Amino acid sequence: MTNGLVLAIIGAALAALLAGIGSAKGVSLVGEAASGVVSVDPSKFSKVLVLELLPGTQGLYGLIAAMFILLRTGVLGGGAAELTVQQGLGFLAASLPIAVVGLISGIMQGRTAAAGVSITAKKPDHNGKAIIMAAMVETYAILALLISVLMILNIAV
Amino acid sequence: MNDTKYANAVGAVRAMENSLLTKTDIDQLINSRNKAEISSIIQSRSGSSSSESLSDVWAMLRAYAPDCKELPILLYRNDFHNLKAVLKAIISNREPKQYYIEPSNVELSTLVDAINSKEYDELPNYMQSTAEEAYELITQTLDGQLSDSLIDMAALKAMQKSAEECGSSFMQKYAELLTVCADIKTAYRCSILGKNAQFMESAICGSSELDKEQLIRAALGGTESLFSYLEGTAYSDAAVLLKDSAAQYEKWCDDVIMELAETARMQAFGSEPLAAYFIAKEAEIKNLRILSVCKEFGADKETITERMRKLYV
Repeated sequence: MTNGLVLAIIGAALAALLAGIGSAKGVSLVGEAASGVVSVDPSKFSKVLVLELLPGTQGLYGLIAAMFILLRTGVLGGGAAELTVQQGLGFLAASLPIAVVGLISGIMQGRTAAAGVSITAKKPDHNGKAIIMAAMVETYAILALLISVLMILNIAV
Repeated sequence: MNDTKYANAVGAVRAMENSLLTKTDIDQLINSRNKAEISSIIQSRSGSSSSESLSDVWAMLRAYAPDCKELPILLYRNDFHNLKAVLKAIISNREPKQYYIEPSNVELSTLVDAINSKEYDELPNYMQSTAEEAYELITQTLDGQLSDSLIDMAALKAMQKSAEECGSSFMQKYAELLTVCADIKTAYRCSILGKNAQFMESAICGSSELDKEQLIRAALGGTESLFSYLEGTAYSDAAVLLKDSAAQYEKWCDDVIMELAETARMQAFGSEPLAAYFIAKEAEIKNLRILSVCKEFGADKETITERMRKLYV
């Protein structure tokens, strides 16, 4: 295994790890707020569940980016490529947008969605507004995923 | 992530806020003809939590946020009231239970044992020295008023100190407002009764909002001098109400606390929404009590409406 390949694998690990941490933190925060509401009014479970799911997507995006790196470098196919250090650094750099933005946006989306749980608790009919506000944060995770994927796909191997 | 504390408790509180009485409910209650109608309106609120006692609300809040350092400050007034009640009951050989109010941070038995055994360290830190001083004072002078004013002032000081220690600006403002309300009332009474500066010094707590020395100086000059001093402060509306009626002033005091609670309505995390819910429930129970007394004495709708405290929802 070349040093370049090690760097690419570190990049894949970072994408999955940091974005996953962001999602875990976000989902747990919304889960806390949602549990509070459900403990008083169990009928609101389905409405708050949608909000709880929203910060979970960053982890998924991190997974997608990591999979792309592993596929492009051949680690998943069984024939790992002999990457140079420059190529390895390229994959590492490509993983950073979704890794960093995934971490931060997961936490921030969790906060927004947890605040939205209050809207659902008090005015269940306005649940859609809470979802829209939390979904706005998602935009930046999608943009980061897009740029990570474009970079991964365009590194010459 | 400390700023996202109590997300679970706030979620629960937001769901419970739906069962607080609204303005429409209060209007219906005022227009109701008999007790049965009142009970049916209260029961019709979802969850019928309007029938909960404040102790139930407190127990529920503590169950959701057992480690919250800010919440116990809300009960300091009750704790110090209970201290007054137990001291007087012990001195006059009466049963303190009937004067004990709940919820409280200190159980009746703890309070009674600590005072009887003079082991004040059984009490929370914020009460220890006050309990000792008040006991000595009341046993030596048998002057209930003096010991009451010592305890009242200690309660306000303890609230201010604890609020500052826990760093909550909401609780600091809460303690500040309670101090201002109590100080204005005390200064007014002192000026009517012609109390001297020494007494006022021991009865008026003082705060950053209302300077103690200036307030005492104004009160020493009589009620007119007090009102003219207050008119130049941020509490000029309180002075106008106090001139007219004590009941209106009491309502103003409750309403300013509710206005503070309202600032927590938009917060998704932290102890503020929990404290605000407790304050809201306190006001709701007070409103129901006022309503029931007014109905019993046949007060007209305008009088009842005038006395109703501001609502949280």
